[in-house]
Amino acid sequence: MDDLEEHLGLHKHLVDDDGDSSDNSSTLRGKKLRLPLVQPMFVETKKETGFTQSCRMCLEQIREAMLHHRWQEAAEYMACYPQILEDKACYTTKQYKELIWRASTEILHHHPKSTIEDYNIIYERLKHSGFKLYLKVSLEHSFHLMLQGKFEDAKQHLAAAESWRYGKESSAQIQRTKLIQAYRSLLDFIIWSEKKVVLSNNNTVDALSENQSMHNYFRQASVNLKGILSNPGVWDPFILSYVEMLEFYEDYEEALKVLNDYAFDNSFPPNPNAHVYLYKYLQRHGAPQKKLIHVLKNLQLLVPSHELMLEYTSLLLQSEKQKNTQKALGIVLEMLDFACWRNNLDRRLGEHHQ
Amino acid sequence: MDYHFPLQLFPSFYNCGPPDSVLKNGTGSWGSYDGVLPQTGSGSLSSWAFTSRHQVRGETWCHTEPVLVPFLFPKNAFHRHFTPPDPLDCIEHMQNFFMDHCQDAFGCMSDILGENFNFRSRGTEKHRHVSVWRVKRFLKLLNYKICFRTHKSSAMSSYCRMLSNVVPDIPPPLLGSLLYEELAEQRDHMLFCEGDTGGALAFVPFAERGKNVHQRGCLLYPGGQGLDRLKFRKVDLQHCNGSVSCVDASNSSPVSFQLKAPIRQISCTSLFNDCCVAVRSDHFCGVWRFSETDEPRLLQVVNTNKPATCVSVSPHVLGEILVASESGAANLWTVGKGMQKVRMEDSNLYFNAKSSWRWCEFSAHPRVMLYADRTGVELTDIRVSLCSGHTLFRISNTSECRSGERLILSRYLGDVHPFHHLITTQYSAYIMDERFPCVPMLKYDHMMQSPPIFCHVIPGSATSASTSSTNKVLLGSHSSQEVTLLQYSGGKVGACSSRGPPQALLRPRESLKHLSVQIPHRRDAAANRLSAPVAGLTCIPKKAGSIPGRRECMCVLQLTEAGDIFYQVLEHNPTGLVTSGAPSADSKPRQAATELPGSTRLTAEPPADSQVVVSETSSDEDVIGLTQGVSARMVVAETPERDQRQPSRPSVSSSEESERFRDCRSGLQPRESQSDEDVNNEKVVDDEGAGSSRSLLQTSGKLSSSVSVKWKHWLQILVERNGKKKPRPRRLQHFQIFSKGLLRLPDSEARGAPEKEIMEKLREELKSCMSGRSLLVQRSVSLTAPDPVPLHQVSTSWTDTLSHRLTVAWQGEKAWQAWWEDQLGMNEKTKMAALRRKRRREKEAKRAAGHRLELSGSFTSASDQSELDIFSSSTGWTTASSQGLWSNTEDGEALSQSAEVLEHENQRAPTASTIQTDIPVPTPTAQSVQSNKNDQQSPSRLSTFSLTQTQTPDRTPARQRRSKRTVEDYLSTLTSTQDYPSQADSYFLENDSFTDTPPPPALLHSSQPLRVSMSRVAGPSSGLSQSLTSSQCSQGWRGPSQSSQPKKKSRMGF
Repeated sequence: MDDLEEHLGLHKHLVDDDGDSSDNSSTLRGKKLRLPLVQPMFVETKKETGFTQSCRMCLEQIREAMLHHRWQEAAEYMACYPQILEDKACYTTKQYKELIWRASTEILHHHPKSTIEDYNIIYERLKHSGFKLYLKVSLEHSFHLMLQGKFEDAKQHLAAAESWRYGKESSAQIQRTKLIQAYRSLLDFIIWSEKKVVLSNNNTVDALSENQSMHNYFRQASVNLKGILSNPGVWDPFILSYVEMLEFYEDYEEALKVLNDYAFDNSFPPNPNAHVYLYKYLQRHGAPQKKLIHVLKNLQLLVPSHELMLEYTSLLLQSEKQKNTQKALGIVLEMLDFACWRNNLDRRLGEHHQ
Repeated sequence: MDYHFPLQLFPSFYNCGPPDSVLKNGTGSWGSYDGVLPQTGSGSLSSWAFTSRHQVRGETWCHTEPVLVPFLFPKNAFHRHFTPPDPLDCIEHMQNFFMDHCQDAFGCMSDILGENFNFRSRGTEKHRHVSVWRVKRFLKLLNYKICFRTHKSSAMSSYCRMLSNVVPDIPPPLLGSLLYEELAEQRDHMLFCEGDTGGALAFVPFAERGKNVHQRGCLLYPGGQGLDRLKFRKVDLQHCNGSVSCVDASNSSPVSFQLKAPIRQISCTSLFNDCCVAVRSDHFCGVWRFSETDEPRLLQVVNTNKPATCVSVSPHVLGEILVASESGAANLWTVGKGMQKVRMEDSNLYFNAKSSWRWCEFSAHPRVMLYADRTGVELTDIRVSLCSGHTLFRISNTSECRSGERLILSRYLGDVHPFHHLITTQYSAYIMDERFPCVPMLKYDHMMQSPPIFCHVIPGSATSASTSSTNKVLLGSHSSQEVTLLQYSGGKVGACSSRGPPQALLRPRESLKHLSVQIPHRRDAAANRLSAPVAGLTCIPKKAGSIPGRRECMCVLQLTEAGDIFYQVLEHNPTGLVTSGAPSADSKPRQAATELPGSTRLTAEPPADSQVVVSETSSDEDVIGLTQGVSARMVVAETPERDQRQPSRPSVSSSEESERFRDCRSGLQPRESQSDEDVNNEKVVDDEGAGSSRSLLQTSGKLSSSVSVKWKHWLQILVERNGKKKPRPRRLQHFQIFSKGLLRLPDSEARGAPEKEIMEKLREELKSCMSGRSLLVQRSVSLTAPDPVPLHQVSTSWTDTLSHRLTVAWQGEKAWQAWWEDQLGMNEKTKMAALRRKRRREKEAKRAAGHRLELSGSFTSASDQSELDIFSSSTGWTTASSQGLWSNTEDGEALSQSAEVLEHENQRAPTASTIQTDIPVPTPTAQSVQSNKNDQQSPSRLSTFSLTQTQTPDRTPARQRRSKRTVEDYLSTLTSTQDYPSQADSYFLENDSFTDTPPPPALLHSSQPLRVSMSRVAGPSSGLSQSLTSSQCSQGWRGPSQSSQPKKKSRMGF
């Protein structure tokens, strides 16, 4: 393992990244940075055999060719490189596998004759070549299928990956599993919304069973979507689809709760979209002006230049309080500090001083 | 609209905390999509689409030339080696220090001790003085490469022991540690120079006027030997030949300002055609103002106590500049009004990174600024307080940083998006949106080897609403000279996504291999110059414009620390086919397409280089090369020869005006292709053809002549400049040994008159032979016996089977085969018969003469003529000898080993003879051969085989029991493996011709060693004659072992 790391130039930088608070106060005068530089990918090791040497040189060529976008050349070299996996001397070949997977997929992206079968072969081979890569490759594979418009296949792959278990789960693995579930649910949602459209268009006899299967999709999706929304993160597409489904089944309480959590939970990143979604939701459901103003106030603190500030000012002006008018003026003037608003100054000012 | 925020962002986890030490394998984000986002469809499944965060394809940008092009002629620069010093060579550096700064190192003690030291030689020695002349002598010896064991000085070592602690002013251990520190710092500085962050090269575009063909602007760069002269040069980017864009300084000499220190960073913005330039050197910052019409003028200079690390000009208000220094303070400098401290940090922001480097930038809000150090970036409101801010970016798990990752550079991307910032680390480039701090909008692994400290951003033009072009980020590194092009899009309505993998651009140090071959010392000088670290990076973008057929292109400029500026032109290839290996039917070049004025024309050429990408599918006709376009504007083509002769480069010492290339104007245009490619020239492809994209790839192997001319001049001038000032390198002197009298002929005096006579005679004979064009044969040449050469001990001293076999194998296949037969007992019967006969004869002989028994067995048998007859009848040897011709015997089995030895003894002869006939050198070899033949029946010769015969039975018995059948099989396989084609035949053929020569009077014993030596000589000399085959040569070499063998035996026999 050590040898492998050395070979790949993956020296751990055991620098005090987490920041010793005791050390933090010390002044830095005269101290120069000793920047951990990027270790080259290909380091000659002491115990290098001729085989590993030729593999290293091959990798170097692949890298050069790929960085210069000479894909054909890279493909030719890449055809030879997987023999590194046959090296019995190194016990773990995870790095090599990942490298082969990444490089060969990238080459396939740019190869003029690459087919979906080629992709499938690469993904499947490397997915099953080691347990450490399985989830990552599965996810990427389904992304590929989604981008190709093959939602059914993608869903199948995601479902397979979802049920996959191996050994003790690391935190990264748990997160990846959750992502897989969420993406699967997103696909469920897409099928659900398709069925919704079909259902609304024709009121045939099958309505009941259709409705039933649609509800099944909803159930499948909602479990996972709700699950992932409890984790801090940016979940814009997931929350939108979840709220849409909840709205359809008229579970407004849950929808509002989810949106509120997404916007105001402190463990979440300060996502402007969270407030926007909440505002839009409230607006759709005719929430009182006060609530709307409250949401926009929070958004204003976060993004004073947001385009919803125009609505905020108009809401404030509608309230017809002296205090709010002043506030509205302040908001508009602050917006004008930003270059993007300054450009269409006259027009906007005219709009809001009607 | 600029104020839009993406409607949806790519999903990701938000992990706080320090970065995981994730092992990465240097593949970056190759091959991964890293999340997808649904584009909301309506209804059916097919209406849904996804976009990925890493999109597979970006725009295709191709080089127009395979090398960088120099922009300026090389100037004098400080000669530096750009390989960092190795701190582990401390001893050597200490030696350098002692030599260079001896006054500092030994000053005091040498003053005190000096008068008591006597450096003169022994004669003037005083008793009070310490005499160190021996030391001096030893030190003189140190100039040479000597062995310190043989040349050791006891005086030196005793003085060393006594004085080494006293003499140096600084104790060596202390000096060593100081030196080590210094070297380590120098090394770090060379590997990563944080002072140069930002780069000292800038381009200020002037406002475009309508359908302006040229991109005009002003290039700001440091000149002068120490990069301490700020220059403003107006430049144009032109399509000068239809295909090749080139930078051309238009009309005037540059305005320049001499500064006190090297320029580290140039930052500039232009508002309403007015440009404000801030220049940072180590302790000074200056502001200039200029416009297209106004000359640049200096507004104000400020001095900083601590080295300044950053200067940044406000894009909002002209005359506002942020200055950060190593003290940790960031100041807002309003030109003409003074400085205002806006932020002060003693320590690093998020953790102790042990760095005093600070950086600041403006942001979307004119009163909010970015304050950055190695650990992260904070947004600070200038209006509020000194020490507050909120995090925009930090090295943490949120951005999936790796441990050890540090912020290198931050740049406000106001031109691209008013809220976006670019942040680079050693590993990645992040696009941050200040409206959504902490979470990067995009993470792009740039895959550079050394950290990117320069960057230039080219906003994508949103010409057509559907497909706006990508934003281009150019990252440049310092020591490794890398330039990487990243592309991304989005950020307004759609989320940010990277487009395509990073693309590495050309580096100056890679240029030489594309140019014509240089003489080694020139090449080294040029390579050293070209490998100077980069000090700045900028780019001149050029829109496609309204002229059809003209592509969007960009010209990337790099400044090196040696003061050179190189540029490369990249052209956008709208077809986007990078590796179109398979040309489809419709992409075939169309014949004689309509010519558009000024359009880029591409003509087919045979592939310049076999390594190019599309080698697989393309035939020669599909490969399209690049020549210049409009034939109407064709300048008379200049031949390369004329280019060489032409002293078209301006004189080196001339004014500023002459330093730039005017090749474009002076008509040094790429020549039309040679006449033999005229057929291909007929094929004109228009720009939209897919073939053109491939042609652009093809050009990577081909260098246009105008560029190569530029390079030629550049290199010439570089060499001239180097030649003038270069100090003569100190050459290591060699230790001399006086060789007089070492090599001379032994006792040349003793050689008597008769020898001289012989020599004279020989010379005369040689002359006559030469005049008569005949060979000098050894007939009449008789030298005195040469000194005996020690014989090659071979066979008898090694008694084991293997050695014997090998010895025999040298004598040829026959002998070897015979040995095997003998060894395997295949000739048992014949031997038995022979032995029986022999015994019978012996008995008869006994009966005939009893007294002979007293002689030695070997001698008796050898002298027995009758026995020889028996043998010769079985081998056919006698018949051959009687005819005077050695023929090959058909019956291999019948050969006894002894006979074989004898035969090969004679076969060896032609070896020498052939050589001799080819090279007419007077040797006594032939003579010896003749004598050999004549004396073949002499007792000494015959004793040989009797001896060997007595040896053979010792080895055979063990194997004799083997079945004959298997043995024969075994032998056949053996013989088949050992292959000497027609070797034996050649012996005899040559022997044929040779036997005609009449036998001269012989001296057997003396001639044999000589022949040995001659054949040794003949081996290597075979190269002289063409006719000498390798087999002959090997025979010649085999000579010694063969000839020595019987000689040895004969000695034993007697």
